[in-house]
Amino acid sequence: MASSGNSALDSAAVAELRAIVGDDAIVSRPTELKVYECDGWTIEKSAPELLLRPRSAAEISAVLKVLHRREIPFVPRGAGTGLSGGCLPVGAPVMICTSRMNRILAIDYASRRVEVESGVVNLHVTNAVRERGFFYAPDPSSQMACTIGGNIAENSGGPHTLKYGVTTNHVLGLEIVLPDGEIAELGGPAEERLGYDLAGAIVGAEGTAGIVTRAILKLTREPEERRTLLAIFAGVGAATRTVSAIISAGVIPGAIEMMDRLIIEAVEDAFHAGLPRDAGAVLIIELDGIAAALDAQAAEVAELARAAGAREVRLARDESERAALWKARKRAFGAVGRLAPNYATQDGVVPRTRLPEILREIAAIAERYSLKIGNVFHAGDGNIHPIVLYDERDADETRRAIEAGREILRACVAMGGSLTGEHGIGVEKMAEMPLIFSPDDLIVMSELRRVFDPEQRANPNKVIPAPGSCVEVAAPRRQVVL
Amino acid sequence: MPPALHDPANLARAFAPIVGEANLRPPSGAELRCAKLMVAPSSADEIAEVVRGCESDRITLAPIGAGRTLAEIRSAPADIGISLARMNRIVAYEPDDMTIVAEAGATLAELDAAMAAHGQWLPIDPPRPELTAMGAMVAGARFGPSRLSEGTARDLLIGVRFAGHGGRLVHGGGRVVKNVAGYDLMKVMTGSFGTLGIITETTFRVRPRAARRLVATMRFSDAASSFRAARTLHDAVPLTHLEVASPPVAAALGLAEEFTLIAGCGGSPVEADYLRARIPEILGANCAIAGGAEADAFHHRLRDFDFAASSAELLAATAPAELPALLAEVGGAWLAFAGSGVARIFLNLRAAGGLDRMVGALRTRARDARGHVRVSRIIPELRGGIEIFDRPAAPAMNLMRRMKTAFDPSGVFNPGCFVGGL
Repeated sequence: MASSGNSALDSAAVAELRAIVGDDAIVSRPTELKVYECDGWTIEKSAPELLLRPRSAAEISAVLKVLHRREIPFVPRGAGTGLSGGCLPVGAPVMICTSRMNRILAIDYASRRVEVESGVVNLHVTNAVRERGFFYAPDPSSQMACTIGGNIAENSGGPHTLKYGVTTNHVLGLEIVLPDGEIAELGGPAEERLGYDLAGAIVGAEGTAGIVTRAILKLTREPEERRTLLAIFAGVGAATRTVSAIISAGVIPGAIEMMDRLIIEAVEDAFHAGLPRDAGAVLIIELDGIAAALDAQAAEVAELARAAGAREVRLARDESERAALWKARKRAFGAVGRLAPNYATQDGVVPRTRLPEILREIAAIAERYSLKIGNVFHAGDGNIHPIVLYDERDADETRRAIEAGREILRACVAMGGSLTGEHGIGVEKMAEMPLIFSPDDLIVMSELRRVFDPEQRANPNKVIPAPGSCVEVAAPRRQVVL
Repeated sequence: MPPALHDPANLARAFAPIVGEANLRPPSGAELRCAKLMVAPSSADEIAEVVRGCESDRITLAPIGAGRTLAEIRSAPADIGISLARMNRIVAYEPDDMTIVAEAGATLAELDAAMAAHGQWLPIDPPRPELTAMGAMVAGARFGPSRLSEGTARDLLIGVRFAGHGGRLVHGGGRVVKNVAGYDLMKVMTGSFGTLGIITETTFRVRPRAARRLVATMRFSDAASSFRAARTLHDAVPLTHLEVASPPVAAALGLAEEFTLIAGCGGSPVEADYLRARIPEILGANCAIAGGAEADAFHHRLRDFDFAASSAELLAATAPAELPALLAEVGGAWLAFAGSGVARIFLNLRAAGGLDRMVGALRTRARDARGHVRVSRIIPELRGGIEIFDRPAAPAMNLMRRMKTAFDPSGVFNPGCFVGGL
């Protein structure tokens, strides 16, 4: 594991920072810093030397000016729910956590805009506007904990992004503190951009441009009603063919999620959610829109599922049945913890029509490496999340789990897909970047990064592999909440 | 190359070996305002070689589809125009994946024709799709009424290839609809007006076409009531587009010369039937609803709308709720995309001073509302020294300068006409 670098974080620097944020916003005791040694990618650990919890953009600006003058790298952190090691300090001794900046600043229903500080929890945005019939569309499964700032860093998705888009489609403006401490406002409440789309370039930059402190987000109108279906299949092949059949028929559901047998059993063991234990795969299909049309649409989707081989299609009869299905889906990762001491979640993407093929490939890889791999994922987007089970006490199994994960990613790329649909590159997938990007692509991307951060001190050693370097991943990810 | 050597004959000698003599020609029509010589490469590799030639001799170059975008923003022609006319292939269309890959010179009309048999379209509807090349649509951030429900190029572009500095052929994104690998070069190129590189290929996600399209219109005696009704309707039912037209624009669209709310919607036959019954309940019985061929024809009129009598067109952008107050200062002819906070404003000022003052006043008002105003079309006699783009605040402008320098260190990509003179 990389060290925290040759920091100039001496006692004078700490005193300067303490004077800015105050005693209650600074953590320097190693035992307390241990909490911050990883995000949801728990296998690589590296605690910062100092944690700051500032309350405002002005404080962050003052902090970054000190760090800039002293040439000290830093890493921003939201809630630490990331899944690719995005906020793991790698050569960055100072961690700056935005969780205290958690105010919703303004809600403008007439314009469908909300302005928030970056430490606001994702779900709190929707909670604040729900009673007026609006919601904030990106809904990562960690939405009860993850922050808007973290979502912006990772360009987070979620089940309902199939219809409503990912974070970048909902971010109009940002306030960012650049690594030299300057505060810049980029974009604004207007949809049309003036000049280069700098806010668009920062969403998904994984915290390498500076620290986002404020965001103007779009609100989405709640659909009139929803219909949530559970389609039950003998195997994953028919389930994934159903996904393509639905989309090809011109229906864009709010979400289409798939779980295979291993996941179904884990969920049933843990939560008794009422899923059929003997099924090979299930799809949760949620339709939303004009109430008058939903029953006909649900009937059409059910027919398509049956035609593709579903043995049964159930319609959630009320809100509690709907909630139970979503609870099963969103808690699937927690349930997997019962199946093995450790597991690693991959995040690949393939063109939707290649889903049957990639699932066959994943099964073959599992066989080849003598591993159990479960699948629970956003099928409508072709965004797979294979979960590789292993026991970290078994060094050989751990090695096989890592290699199997990489082979799955290589298979995704070979099918015209991508390395990550929503979890980010972080440190986890840097070594795979050359599979999809040429040296010229990576050069231009690092030039883009240096527009914001010329000295590369904001979240250093992330996303883009250093030329000629080989990033070694020690072991795959363990228990995580998706 | 000293400036004297930048005359068309010398430029032709420099680029003939790369693209062949037959693919050089003098500019015509709108191109005259964009470039001194048109160079038509057949591939990204040829473009890369042209870029390298331009950089070593400080020859400025401008990418050109139909020439409309840059004709409006360049005050003097660039040395060469890169015509993308020969790069007009649809590279791949996967109806079941709902993605399409096209070279930068392919037009929106060509893409939609290719997708029609599968009931799909690229739901970006700027004026004149037959003249809208993909590269220009992305670089010029062109849009139409459907931005309300479908978004714009920035939302639908999932992959991009471009020739950057040093002739580097660069790509961002890919061919899958969900992808966060690497920095988002799609956002960087969208709306960059050819100042960061030459887009060679674009990949989009596409959407199913609605089986039925409806257009509702309703007349009002004043703008404020039209905008209020627009919001009420928007909050009540899903709409595909939503406009308010001022009286002269309504008349030019073939409607009565009054403030007019225009709302598009549609979907399956069941949805369309429901909406046809529901909208009058919300707006009142005197709204008119058209369907079928009539609705399609109206959508095309709205999409292609151009107020021929005007001397200049502005594009104002604010938060949607701020737009009515801004337009109240204009009077006259405008078409507001009410749900998106964007308006096309048509001015008929014939004196440069009057236009300057009007643009200045609107910019001040728009900035107060954290918005901005662009001159999107102007007759050549008024072009003069008018600033086409509003000025971003200093910290953002500094970053934009750094962006330009990073992507175009030699300063050859369509220089001198973007924000802050970039």
